[in-house]
Amino acid sequence: MMQELYLNPHQARRRQPTAYEDLLGDSIERAYAAGVHDLAGLVAHLNRTGPNCPAGGVWTEDSYRAEIARLAAEC
Amino acid sequence: MRTNANDPVDAVLAVGLKDLWYPMCPSSFVAERPVSLRRLGRKFVLWREASGVLHALEDHCPHRGAPLSLGIALGDRIACGYHGVQVRADGVVMSVPGSPGCKLEGAKATRSYHVREAAGAIFLYNSSVDITDPPPLNLPTELTDDVHSHFLCYTEWKGDYRYVLDNVMDPMHGTFLHKQSHSMAEGDSTAAFRVRETDTGFVFEKEGQRGVNFDWTEWADTGLHWMRLEIPYPKTGGPGGNFIIIGSYTPISENVSAVFHWRCRKVDGWQRDTWRFLYQNRLEARHWAVLEQDRAILEMMEPDANQREMLYQHDMGIVRLRRHLRNLAKAQLEAGAEKAA
Repeated sequence: MMQELYLNPHQARRRQPTAYEDLLGDSIERAYAAGVHDLAGLVAHLNRTGPNCPAGGVWTEDSYRAEIARLAAEC
Repeated sequence: MRTNANDPVDAVLAVGLKDLWYPMCPSSFVAERPVSLRRLGRKFVLWREASGVLHALEDHCPHRGAPLSLGIALGDRIACGYHGVQVRADGVVMSVPGSPGCKLEGAKATRSYHVREAAGAIFLYNSSVDITDPPPLNLPTELTDDVHSHFLCYTEWKGDYRYVLDNVMDPMHGTFLHKQSHSMAEGDSTAAFRVRETDTGFVFEKEGQRGVNFDWTEWADTGLHWMRLEIPYPKTGGPGGNFIIIGSYTPISENVSAVFHWRCRKVDGWQRDTWRFLYQNRLEARHWAVLEQDRAILEMMEPDANQREMLYQHDMGIVRLRRHLRNLAKAQLEAGAEKAA
């Protein structure tokens, strides 16, 4: 008997994304799509369109670096 | 892929060339409990000691041929579940509880294999005979340096692994099969290709088009057979340049393949973390959808499709790769015949 073949579409993520993470992903992609590929521009975009920085409202370059590092490691 | 029973070269390729490293499975597949993996024309048992040290033997008890994987791992050895025969990771039988002192004890009676872990996967050296020291496992730089970040995508597909090789050595299918994908909508639907030699293999590439679509494939032999290609991301992919894919493929059985793709990007700092976040959050699902397009085609190809082909210029890479592999298989057969003489 043939064992079932391994076909798992999600091998990288550790859990289902939260609504906040989906919104953040949407917002980053919209910034990237608009050609914003620098950190200052990305932070300004997030502050203009949201979502808010969970650490305290306004995104800064430092808070973005810390938050995205956390998400890259935990998601 | 129909393997011609009367063609010994084909038979060698069907189970994978010997004396090469092959990726076997993701690292996470193997823990302390023995795991049986059918690969490369035989069954292997893999397990870990509590310290994490990894071992591989042929999944075959030297006593009566029961699968060792059904036994109990005891550190560096396995006690067969059938009669308790203990086989050490180097293939030496350490104990025959039912007949102490019998000549099986102390004999090197089971094939043992060298394994390494790297880039999230377990690699096995498919040696033709037992050896003490395998050659080094040389992976492409994308999987070993610090400037690249990567994720492994592992899948098992119905179909011969050589059809998977053909598929990757065929950049032009990107323009058609993957036209509606998130990253391959660009590029001309006609192109002239050429082959360029490298130190470790060759590149099959479109003439006059690079960085637009799936424009080239590299074949490399560094003691491990692997392929490399790049696909430009759309602007939504953000900074970090092209999406790089490293592929390596291992036969599971006649019509099942172990398919390894490492998705890589040259990124660091916040760009690296953002790519990794987006990959986990959404890009992986999109890349998966593209890979499923390939699987749908390959799994529906008749096993003997390769017997009735009419190839054209875009297939020059496939022809080149098949010829190269056949030559390696012939050399392997000749070396075996010399040894036997």
